[in-house]
Amino acid sequence: MRSKIDKIILIVLLLAFLASVYLIFQWVPPIKASNPAEQIAQRIFYFHVPSAWLGFLAFFVVFIGSIAYLATRDRKYELITVASAEIGVLFITLVLITGPIWAKPVWGIWWTWDVRLTSSLILWLIYVAFLMLRRYLPDGSKRANLSAVVGIIGFIDVPIVYYSIRWWETQHPKAVMASSEGSLAAPMFFTFMFSLATFTLLYVYLIRKRYQLLTLEDSLNKQFKEMEIL
Amino acid sequence: MMQTAIAILKKDLRMEFRSKESILAMWIFSLLIFVIFNFTFEVSRLVMLEIAPGLLWVAFVFSGMFGLNQSFSLEKENGNLRAMALMPVDGGQIYVGKFLSVTIIMLMFEALIFPIFIIFYDLQLSLGMFKLVPVLLAGTIGFTSLGTILSAVAVHTRNQQILLSLLLWPLVSPIIIWSVTLTGMILSNQVTEAFYPLLLRVGAFDVIFFTLSYMLFDFVLED
Repeated sequence: MRSKIDKIILIVLLLAFLASVYLIFQWVPPIKASNPAEQIAQRIFYFHVPSAWLGFLAFFVVFIGSIAYLATRDRKYELITVASAEIGVLFITLVLITGPIWAKPVWGIWWTWDVRLTSSLILWLIYVAFLMLRRYLPDGSKRANLSAVVGIIGFIDVPIVYYSIRWWETQHPKAVMASSEGSLAAPMFFTFMFSLATFTLLYVYLIRKRYQLLTLEDSLNKQFKEMEIL
Repeated sequence: MMQTAIAILKKDLRMEFRSKESILAMWIFSLLIFVIFNFTFEVSRLVMLEIAPGLLWVAFVFSGMFGLNQSFSLEKENGNLRAMALMPVDGGQIYVGKFLSVTIIMLMFEALIFPIFIIFYDLQLSLGMFKLVPVLLAGTIGFTSLGTILSAVAVHTRNQQILLSLLLWPLVSPIIIWSVTLTGMILSNQVTEAFYPLLLRVGAFDVIFFTLSYMLFDFVLED
């Protein structure tokens, strides 16, 4: 199953990650902040935001894959959906870990019930439930149907969750939310885009690998069944 | 056209009125929630008033799970779920019937627990409280419209009850957040101009959730 494309992607990934580590920790100038801890902590941004982006991308693929499955009943789409949901949960988990690591030195607290934090957590919960649902169901078309339905509802719910918490948030403004908005300086922008591209390539690699593994499992199960019949 | 839905609704309501299983269990369970909250959060009356709207919705949501779980597990017990799936009607009809029965049962339970809530938390009855009716209606419909389809999803699993909570609560959180906000405005007598737009928003998402579930229900029934 090891294809040439995978090998090439892997090599490119290794080089890109090495380069992005250099860019993030050596090349990009530190931000102007009075707190020295914040200058160091800020660099997590180059991992945190691409992870979040990757999570959203993965869940979008779950959504599209679910629709494609219900339309075609092709097992291929079901497997892509599962692979993507797993990767999405993994990267949103990274978001939820890297976020507090940054927040502690900068805000002074690990967690606050701010709109982004809360909606990321709910997003994570939705897709963990999606994966758990699959675990509790026996393999078959029923499982594929049910998880596709949840995959569609889940994704449509995401913007609603974000919207609802934002509304609620404006009712209770938090003092800790120091706004650090503004345009990124050129080297920062470049580093960020580089990291984003690297992470996206990582997604491509991971989903290819996971998909191949799932099809292997499938064919193995089929062989077992045939052996049982004999 | 809606014959199937009405037939299912009638059957469910007749069953409920004869056994009173769901409503009674939900009512007692809510009572328990009030009691437990009272012990776990020993707070002054003023603070209690502030958390009362949240408490009310916690009671609704937790107890509502009972009705939702019941709705499809009863059908599954005697193989009726399969019979329903085989019926030569649109799956959406079955969804509408189930949705209506769950919603009506839950609204009746809410009407029965609300007086107890007023007594326990010493709330002042006023005409303004009638504004709660659309809020409870909109919040409950949002909860049951998603809850009905997810209950039909979860019923196929070994761990139906816990899985339904895991699936439903994150998805329905926007409706709950808004309903609590709206209820809080009414209970504290601070209905601002933000009230109606927000209520309308809950209604709009009810429509979205309902339509989405209606369209997808066929796939849930299918084997």
